Amino acid sequence: MDFTWTEENDAFRARVRDFLDRELPTNWDEIARHGPGSREQTEFSLEFCPKLAEAGLLVPHWPAEWGGADRPTWEHFIMGEEMWAVGEPRGGQYMNVNWIGPVLMRYGSDAQKAQYLPEMAAGRAIWCQGFSEPGAGSDLASLRTKAIRDGDDYVINGQKIWTSYAGMADTCFLLARTGGADQGRSAIAIFLVPMDTPGIEVRAIPSLIGHGDIHEVFFTDVRVPASCRLGEEGEGWTIISYALANERVGIPRYEMSSQVLDLMVGELKARGAFGNAIVRAKAAEAAAACEAARLLVYRVVDERARGVPPGTAANLARVAVVEADHAVTDFGMDFLPDCFSGDGHAGMLAHHERAIVTGIAAGAAEIQLNLVARRHLDLPKGA
Amino acid sequence: MHLAFNEDQATFVTVLAQMLGDEAETGFHTVADWGRFDYGTALDARLEEAGFYDAAAEPDLGTVAAAAMVHEVAQVPVTVECAASALLRPFLGDDVPRPLAVVDDEAPGAIRFLPQAGALLSITDGAVRLARLDGQAREVDSLFAYPMGEMARDKLDWQTLDVDPATIRTLWQIALAAELSGVLAGGLSSVLAHVRERTQFGQALGSFQGVQHRLATDAVWLEGARLLMLKAASSRAPQDASLALAHVQNHATRIGYDLHQFMGAMGLTLEHPLHRWTYRARALRAEMGGAPMAFLDYAEARWRAA
Repeated sequence: MDFTWTEENDAFRARVRDFLDRELPTNWDEIARHGPGSREQTEFSLEFCPKLAEAGLLVPHWPAEWGGADRPTWEHFIMGEEMWAVGEPRGGQYMNVNWIGPVLMRYGSDAQKAQYLPEMAAGRAIWCQGFSEPGAGSDLASLRTKAIRDGDDYVINGQKIWTSYAGMADTCFLLARTGGADQGRSAIAIFLVPMDTPGIEVRAIPSLIGHGDIHEVFFTDVRVPASCRLGEEGEGWTIISYALANERVGIPRYEMSSQVLDLMVGELKARGAFGNAIVRAKAAEAAAACEAARLLVYRVVDERARGVPPGTAANLARVAVVEADHAVTDFGMDFLPDCFSGDGHAGMLAHHERAIVTGIAAGAAEIQLNLVARRHLDLPKGA
Repeated sequence: MHLAFNEDQATFVTVLAQMLGDEAETGFHTVADWGRFDYGTALDARLEEAGFYDAAAEPDLGTVAAAAMVHEVAQVPVTVECAASALLRPFLGDDVPRPLAVVDDEAPGAIRFLPQAGALLSITDGAVRLARLDGQAREVDSLFAYPMGEMARDKLDWQTLDVDPATIRTLWQIALAAELSGVLAGGLSSVLAHVRERTQFGQALGSFQGVQHRLATDAVWLEGARLLMLKAASSRAPQDASLALAHVQNHATRIGYDLHQFMGAMGLTLEHPLHRWTYRARALRAEMGGAPMAFLDYAEARWRAA
């Protein structure tokens, strides 16, 4: 059992930090203020990610065949920590490298791989995930958006909601129903839909979590060729389960929380307020939440690196990450409330917007508690 | 970064689990009645005889294996002085008797394991001192599910040990974190067994989401606590040790409450052993000043002066 980084890991992290020092502009905090889905950050990602790719740092964990370098799982995760710590300059492209690309490698046709993977590996692709619907959130399998086969095409009708990155996405990773609602999960398929296809309308939803981060997406008689389907009809649930297993701990949120906590402590010290024992103890309590989350996530990565089949570790980790994010932003609001007004503390404001969505994005924390209860604690399912 | 036990540690933990699970032979779990505590004399003897208490000094086992042992032994309903023997005694020099009672910062009042102890260890910022005992301790009644004892400490023949007090203090934080996370895990296991079987409103208690979410949250806290404890055992860094102890002490109150709530009235009887875990937890969560003091230790280590 070894909780330390290897020299190779440290060298890789130093390389990523050097890159960030060189490439992040002096006004990066302003660009990153409103989150990975904002227009500012998305546009920045289209300049930043190609440079990352050129430096061999965008998809180093991918197979060489698809532009990667077959680097270890841990390096990919170190990259994620360093990127999220500064506010995620890859914007929504982190999804490409974390799970959309690997899903396409596993389930995509040769044509789909050839069409999409090189663009992702070059840092030029913006995707959105068309999962949630007005009537299908945590109960994702109840989705109603329909994809009806019509000759060599599918015709898609329906509505998605809370769709991150949709405003500037090139392609949607869309879940749709190819059969009746009575067929449940077995009638769900995935489509890779170009967002400029006629019949798609995107509307941004004003929110508390950044500019342009969440959207409604309407599909009205959207006709796509059958070659846009990922895998077979009925295989969608299997694919999405695989994708979500990667996504649940895909964002190392505790890293940004931990660094923002340091920022808060620095501010409190500057004000002479950190000598108060209650303040110090509460800061440490938030730190404990961050470090517990970190280790629970590391266990997931460690299991993945050792080839252990996915178990319940990711469900436990996801709940802990939510607690960590909230512990830090709540600490800030309790002891530095003035920092949440005006423009003076972009880091705390940016973290807050990311923290309040943690328990909802990528699946509600309560669904994870259901899974912990049933799969980890072996408790019976309710009637 | 490698979060699995090495081969020797994995074997050590497997053999220990087999020993602890060997109920029919050893009677570690089944006792005649569920009094407030029951010192596990048979278990203690077997652990000592098999050399388990010396693991921390073995290069391929180390403090990680010793801490894992404390965590596992704490889960059985009998009480054994394991934490100090496994994580302190190997670093105190030769010929230190056990069981070992520990008092931190000259805290007043009754001391856990003092009636059984072969020695009392005193840890302060300035010194680590040992007093050999010969039946001087007076056993006292206590709410806590440990054998508790008192004695006139100033009359003892104290010997100052040639060890670094800060190092021993860190090891004691790790030991307490291991024991407390283990004790709570043991209590949780017993409650899980109950809510899987107990039926109300036509379905198992454990199938109600109100019950599931709280026990699942407890499990998340405990698994985080276990990993923090193992990291501290691996690094032996003061910052890691104080965080591990603070985290589990901080959550112990809420977890203990949940465990008793879901055990219902049965958990308030002496017919069920739940109290043996929760009243050990109540004692442990207050050790070394409790979570607030451990949090302050951590804050000092991470952020230094105010």
